[in-house]
Amino acid sequence: MSILLPVERRMGKPKWEVMLAPALVVLAPLLAFALFLLASGVNPITLYGTMLKSTFGDWYGFGEVVIKATPFILTALAASLPAKAGMINVGGEGQLAIGALAVTAVGVYLLPSVPGWIGVPILVLVGALGGALWASVAAIGKVKGKMNETITTLLLNYIAYFTIGFFVHSLLKDPASFNWPFSKELAGQLRLLTFSSASRVHVGIGIALILAAIVWFLITQTRLGFRIRVVGGNVLAAKRAGLKDTKIQFWVLIAAGAIAGIAGMIEITGIEGRLRPTTGMNYGYLGFLASWMAWNHPLWLIATSFIIGMISVAGNSLEMNSGLPASSVQILMALVLFAILAVGRRKQA
Amino acid sequence: MNGIDIGTGAIRAGTSVLYASLGELIAERAGVVNLGTEGCMLGGALGAFAVTVWSGNPWLGALAGGISGSVLALIHAFLVITRKANALASGLTVMFFAIGLTSFLGRGFVNKQIHGFEPISIPLLSKIPFLGPLLFQHDGLTYLSMLLVPTLWFLLFKTRLGVILRATGEREEVVYTYGFSPKWIRYGAVMAGGFLTGIGGAQLSTAYTHTWVENMTQGKGIVAVALVIFAAWKPARAMLGAYLFGGAQALQLVVQQQGYEISPFLLFMTPYVITLLALFLVARKQRSQMPEGLSKVFNGAGGG
Repeated sequence: MSILLPVERRMGKPKWEVMLAPALVVLAPLLAFALFLLASGVNPITLYGTMLKSTFGDWYGFGEVVIKATPFILTALAASLPAKAGMINVGGEGQLAIGALAVTAVGVYLLPSVPGWIGVPILVLVGALGGALWASVAAIGKVKGKMNETITTLLLNYIAYFTIGFFVHSLLKDPASFNWPFSKELAGQLRLLTFSSASRVHVGIGIALILAAIVWFLITQTRLGFRIRVVGGNVLAAKRAGLKDTKIQFWVLIAAGAIAGIAGMIEITGIEGRLRPTTGMNYGYLGFLASWMAWNHPLWLIATSFIIGMISVAGNSLEMNSGLPASSVQILMALVLFAILAVGRRKQA
Repeated sequence: MNGIDIGTGAIRAGTSVLYASLGELIAERAGVVNLGTEGCMLGGALGAFAVTVWSGNPWLGALAGGISGSVLALIHAFLVITRKANALASGLTVMFFAIGLTSFLGRGFVNKQIHGFEPISIPLLSKIPFLGPLLFQHDGLTYLSMLLVPTLWFLLFKTRLGVILRATGEREEVVYTYGFSPKWIRYGAVMAGGFLTGIGGAQLSTAYTHTWVENMTQGKGIVAVALVIFAAWKPARAMLGAYLFGGAQALQLVVQQQGYEISPFLLFMTPYVITLLALFLVARKQRSQMPEGLSKVFNGAGGG
């Protein structure tokens, strides 16, 4: 892809800058956040210590990081794949939610007594379909109306949020919930298997890693992947080469929606067991951040998803140990991304 | 409930979006898309609310809201203009940053009472049948936004400054040739846009609701960006779009008050669906009017 892009002047930046950049990207946000913590009367060193301990201190804590990272890997893939085709999909949020909605509806009302080995694969498909369906609105808008997918997917996130609200308050509401807005619980055999009793880690991480490997293989090793990258690198060149750029973009968006929908499926069958108005909230955005932190590389984003998973888990301990609200973690994440955007694109992976 | 009430409600609910749309319009005319609009609005809403609590003066609050919006927009301007970061990713990060920052800083302001902007009936004018109650019984910020639309149109299309600004979004080489710096013009446009967007947020917290609620803009900043496209980058049409959005919101209140058995969630989503539909209906046509400098961002060539 780099061949197709015009050579940038920044190619010739000094060596020390290239060497220091990665360290700077990690250290600068941590320092800036430390100042922020000091200003709120919290000792940053103690707090960073607690954050590390709560995530890597024992197997349970680390398991929580794995659980958190799982949907982030998938929503990050849902941002990374379209990015390769030159699109910015911020709709992982809504696509995940609608996937979760479809899985809950089908799981609770159609498959309550189907054995797990049939039911779970069906639910993977249902989640993927739900996410793909939601993404198709943006994809059709892109192809038929030339609407920018970033804006449509963002608007669709809000619509998805209200759609979930509508269903958990009406059709899907658990009659035994004492008016709390959540759905009935999924039958036990439809829940994802956990590896051991020491933590809550379930097979979802396997699904996420396999999908990341598939996307990586597709993008870097296949002709289709090459075409996707050509469309992403230079639409004009793609057109001259006879590639059907809109068709490729259409299906890439649909595939991204399907992946985010599977994240919704994993969230329901792996962790929550039922749909709530807040199911998967912010997961789409966090996945988007993870993808950009990894320069949209389908394998590197596994690492950044773990970092964001770790910050998320640590965020909960932050709330308990220092009295800071969980939202302060969002500030840290945004600082990290600011640093990455400021340093610039290191390479065009 | 009648047409006047819905119309008045549309203006009341649409004004915050109008400010944000006008702000985004200025930035986009200079060739910079700012998805951080959502964040600038939130920052403006909190900044204005906080200063109104402290000072008791909503005008001072609105000024603070504008400054908050400008400061957040400056982050975006630096990343996009100086560091050449992807504009969409940068805007989203500003949005994300502002959501976190405002919910953190705003904790102490939830449930606070303020004396914000109150509707002022303009003497004589408000007595005109139909138009009087529709247009002349609003708060100060709303009147200001109505004046802002023709002012901005004049600035953009009838002044030298406007020509330079639009040329920056279309052909920056020309601007450069004439001895201006496209870079600093863009900085100015993004920050001025952030200022107006911040006032939009201020209108939401100090005039429309008189409260601060975490993440209270609920995507209105994103709607504003969509409406700029709907408006074909023209101030008067941005006003139309904002009031269309506001109208859908006002209608939702009316339906609830009438006691119809419609889920509030379906009503909440209507304004967003209408925005999406409006965008779909005009998007194809509008692209021809898009400032040249934006097409790179919107065609995805700047992505990756």
